[in-house]
Amino acid sequence: MDKILKKNSLSQWIKKLESYTIYAPVKKDQVWEYEIMESPDNIELDYPNTVLSPKKIIFPQREVFLEFNRSDENDLEIKEILPEEKPTIVFGVRPCDARALTITDKVFRSDIKDIYYSKKREQTTLVGLACNTPPSPHCFCTSVGGNPYSKEGLDILMTDLGDRYYIESITEKGYKLINSAKNLFTQPKTEDKKALEKNRTESKKKIQQQIKDIDKIPPKLNQMFDSPFWDEQSLGCIRCGICTYICPTCHCFDISDEITSTFPLQGKRIRTWDTCQFPSFTMHSSGHNPRPDRASRLRQRVFHKFQYFVERYQEYMCIGCGRCVDQCPVGINIIEILKKVRDYESKSLHAKTS
Amino acid sequence: MVNLQDLKKEVQKILKEGKIKYFIGYEKREDEPFAKPSFIKKPEDVEKLTWNPTCVHNLARFLVFEKRRKASEKEPDERPVGIMVKGCDSRAINVLIQEKFINREDVYIIGVSCENTGVIDEKKLSKKLKNKQAQKIDFGEKDNFVVTTNDGKMKVPSKEILADNCLECKTNYPVVYDVFLGEKIERKPEDPFESIKKIESLSPKEKYNFWKEQIDKCIRCYACRSVCPMCYCDECVVDSIELSVTAETTADEKAKKIIWTEKSPVSSENFTYHLVRAIHMAGRCVDCGECERVCPVDIPIRLLNKKLEKEVVELFDYEAGFDSDRPPLLSSFKEKDPQEFIR
Repeated sequence: MDKILKKNSLSQWIKKLESYTIYAPVKKDQVWEYEIMESPDNIELDYPNTVLSPKKIIFPQREVFLEFNRSDENDLEIKEILPEEKPTIVFGVRPCDARALTITDKVFRSDIKDIYYSKKREQTTLVGLACNTPPSPHCFCTSVGGNPYSKEGLDILMTDLGDRYYIESITEKGYKLINSAKNLFTQPKTEDKKALEKNRTESKKKIQQQIKDIDKIPPKLNQMFDSPFWDEQSLGCIRCGICTYICPTCHCFDISDEITSTFPLQGKRIRTWDTCQFPSFTMHSSGHNPRPDRASRLRQRVFHKFQYFVERYQEYMCIGCGRCVDQCPVGINIIEILKKVRDYESKSLHAKTS
Repeated sequence: MVNLQDLKKEVQKILKEGKIKYFIGYEKREDEPFAKPSFIKKPEDVEKLTWNPTCVHNLARFLVFEKRRKASEKEPDERPVGIMVKGCDSRAINVLIQEKFINREDVYIIGVSCENTGVIDEKKLSKKLKNKQAQKIDFGEKDNFVVTTNDGKMKVPSKEILADNCLECKTNYPVVYDVFLGEKIERKPEDPFESIKKIESLSPKEKYNFWKEQIDKCIRCYACRSVCPMCYCDECVVDSIELSVTAETTADEKAKKIIWTEKSPVSSENFTYHLVRAIHMAGRCVDCGECERVCPVDIPIRLLNKKLEKEVVELFDYEAGFDSDRPPLLSSFKEKDPQEFIR
């Protein structure tokens, strides 16, 4: 269902949705983040990439699973903490960030259903905003199966047409939001549809980064596990967790017990984000570390996204938002790495395969 | 001015002579205005090297990785590593030598002067350029940078886009080196502690509120720690995981294992991390500004270190990294040291 919303009606629409918890991009100091919106009047939708994607709302960095309390030897009280009922809307979601959730859905909502993730995902309505200009010079969504106006994972897609938004409701959840303020929306005219098409052709052209023949990369990686390539590429890595924590598709986590009192034993079982870039990631009790150096950790990041995940789900675990490239403190660039992998023709590779 | 050709010639020479095992410098990136760390092994690769105001990284951090790698090798190459340093980076090397983490002969240092300016703050630059994209940035004549954008060249006064630590830097040339390129120009900032003035004037409650808001943003990526040459502990307080846990270890025993900070990104744990780190920087931080530069959520981490730097100057007349022969501040004692806290 397509509609038109005048820009100056946007805050009125949001006011009608007050029964929801509403997140929108907010500028704090120098950076943008999705925060709970304080007033619909100050909503600003002219933002670059937020540091963290809406992943932080659906799959927060910290989640409490249960609380335990052993008041005496024979009495262990365990209280399960289930995700709360909290209908939520996220406004101004980038199409790539919404696609990212369809990727993490495959992990958290398939054979085994993660109730924490699923509950948040189901009760959250994602209102997207198409990217008229790429929010980052490192955007490469079109190379990994997306585009600046992709609807995948979204409930509504808005496109900025200057003085008005072209609104497309994609799901039942999206339809409900529009229905709650029916009189604010009008039917699109032929000229609106034309403007939308023109906008799309132009916005796609503005994506500066392209990775051609990306489908050559997963089979190539298969031959490069033991390549010295990873040593060369990781020389500058400082082993921080930025690239993975800010990644909308990275979803590794750790579960630990946080003890608040020893006698009596009290505490919480929590889930927190984890990252393959930290030395302690999957370290064994014996002290053995399956990924002991920076090379094997960088390799893990690239392989998980462009080999293991592709093998398992036939899809890249990357949506091309460019955040990891924008934010890497030492200029490690996954676009460059992928192009080098695609073109990699070393003597050692030939020696191994022949 | 540093002549880039001189730098390349020097590096090529020491690589050809086999004097160093490899060289850590900066290289220009394709289609990106900011340089990145470069690791040069072959003499012919020196053409990659660059020196301009986007060479922000403190390369001394890579000496920490080098030491670890060397320790894991059965027959390590004992030759020194070549490294290119700015003033603050050279002071970091001095602290590493002073603390006996590395030996002076482990490094062959090529020092470069910061051309009386320093390096650029990427955030200030993008604010200044608004929608334009920088393609190339060079040192200009005195107190200017020349920024090339898609719109052509423009001169930008250095004060507007210099990193805060460069604005407050007292010695923008190296203090330890084997070869020095450029000129040593004394430059005294008006107030080396300008940036902390505002915070110092706040009441304790206001200070707490300011820091709580900042520290709450932390996502615990540990980039500030990972980029810091002074953060070379084998086991960091935040990673202290007692691994000697077996199938027989009981819940009670597990509960008794020391965990200094939990993984939860909540105020208490974030504060523990940042304050523990700050305290460990007292008398050691050389104000290269890397911790603040790399923070993805823009926490002004440098202010914590700057305050401690000021305390150390005022109490002990000590500045980190200027003299590697002097004993480290926190492991030495002088009779005239203030000791009110002990009485």
